[in-house]
Amino acid sequence: MRRDESLQSIAKFIAEYAAHMMGCGVHTSRVVRSAKRIGDAYETDVNISVFQRNIILTLKENNSDKIHSEVVDIPALPISFEHNAELSALSWNIYDNNLSLADAWKLYNKIVNAPSIDSLFVLILVGFANASFCKLFGGDWFSMTIVFSATITGMFLKQQMQRKHFNHYIIFIVCAFIASLCASTAYLFDTTSEIALATSVLYLVPGVPLINGVIDIVEGYTLTGFARLVNALMLVLCIAIGLSLTLVLVKDNLIIN
Amino acid sequence: MKIFWDTIADYNQTTWVAQLFIILIGMLLTGMLYRSNKTWIKTAMKGYLAFTYLWIAFVYYLYFGEARSYHLVMTIFWSLMALVWIWDAAKEYTTFERDRQLDWLAWILLVMPFIYPAVSLARGMEFPQITSPLMPCSVTIFTIGLLLLFSKKINLFIVLCLTHWSIIGVAKTYSYNIPEDFLLAVSAVPALYIFFRQYFRHTLKQPSKPDAKYIRALLILLFTIMGISLTGTFVWGVVNHAFTL
Repeated sequence: MRRDESLQSIAKFIAEYAAHMMGCGVHTSRVVRSAKRIGDAYETDVNISVFQRNIILTLKENNSDKIHSEVVDIPALPISFEHNAELSALSWNIYDNNLSLADAWKLYNKIVNAPSIDSLFVLILVGFANASFCKLFGGDWFSMTIVFSATITGMFLKQQMQRKHFNHYIIFIVCAFIASLCASTAYLFDTTSEIALATSVLYLVPGVPLINGVIDIVEGYTLTGFARLVNALMLVLCIAIGLSLTLVLVKDNLIIN
Repeated sequence: MKIFWDTIADYNQTTWVAQLFIILIGMLLTGMLYRSNKTWIKTAMKGYLAFTYLWIAFVYYLYFGEARSYHLVMTIFWSLMALVWIWDAAKEYTTFERDRQLDWLAWILLVMPFIYPAVSLARGMEFPQITSPLMPCSVTIFTIGLLLLFSKKINLFIVLCLTHWSIIGVAKTYSYNIPEDFLLAVSAVPALYIFFRQYFRHTLKQPSKPDAKYIRALLILLFTIMGISLTGTFVWGVVNHAFTL
């Protein structure tokens, strides 16, 4: 090996690194590429099998027969584009600047322990984003206001339930129901209420797993891709259940032209 | 609009004695809560709020509001908020501890439900076709006032639901010709800003991203936009009304 680091310590770092990347919503090929790059930096050959909940990693020292394997669980983390970008950049940093494993750990911990985006900030911006969706689909200003309010109510509930570690399928059903119920009050007024109702649950759509699922399948990681798609579709189903509960209540108000 | 005011008249005519009784209990509990912070009084107040919300859900909307097309969803909306109060009482979440920062605003809000019928009478309406202190918007404003008086730790989910109701209140001002509801909208904005500030005060002290000052600035901007929109809507309504006359 190029440096003094043991094969085991390198494997532990790469396993932790890859598991965190998978957990925060990075598509599989990027995780594999980044892990192999770090392996190259330490003159080891990395082979990875990625599953939905675990990663199996085997490192082989170049120019010797030493092999070490690690199995690591993928943690359930919130989607983070920031971690995605910074961890990817870290792999290049290790490769280009010949960082020691201690320095790599230091930088890795700095990235993963950095303060996450404030929940109030997220709450308000998600409200604005969903209100903008309402406008995009042809909603008027009053519907947008209703959607904004309904979204922050549902999103706040989601944040609180996630903090209390509720089952995420339950969270999606409850939040879709509450947000759409709040949005359905638009039916009281002469406004674009159908658009308000339909767009009030869009903040729950699991866009990143859906996109990653497709990317994984296209790039040949069919197993993880399919698992991600099934997981995302289950969440979409939960949104549909929550929205349906509201629709059952307001069905008399739906105008059929 | 006729159905709306007819159902209100029917509701007031039939339930005014019960309404009076419920309002008196509310006044008594508010006074007791102000003087003492015993746990049973706090639980009783939460029970009272849950009962009042259920009253709005089942008596006001489900029974008397049956003629309105949208009574069932309102029943569920208010029942859900009542459930949250019951959960709150069981978990002792809202502490009903005084912050003493904006007591004057809290007292204005607590008195506001009694201004509702006064405004209706001033507009030339007659009992029973007037707004009363035990109607959705009056109950919302009472709850906001109460939470503002004891704002050390509040249940923000309830506040968000009440915010949603306040937004509906603004629209109702014009759709159903209830200018009284503008009181709710106007008073809710500063109160809601305070609730948000209070709720996130402890998290903003920790290192956050973006910096706490930007989050505070975003909050101020949001509520300034809300305030300007409400004022604009109000001025537009007054001017429109003046031209109609």
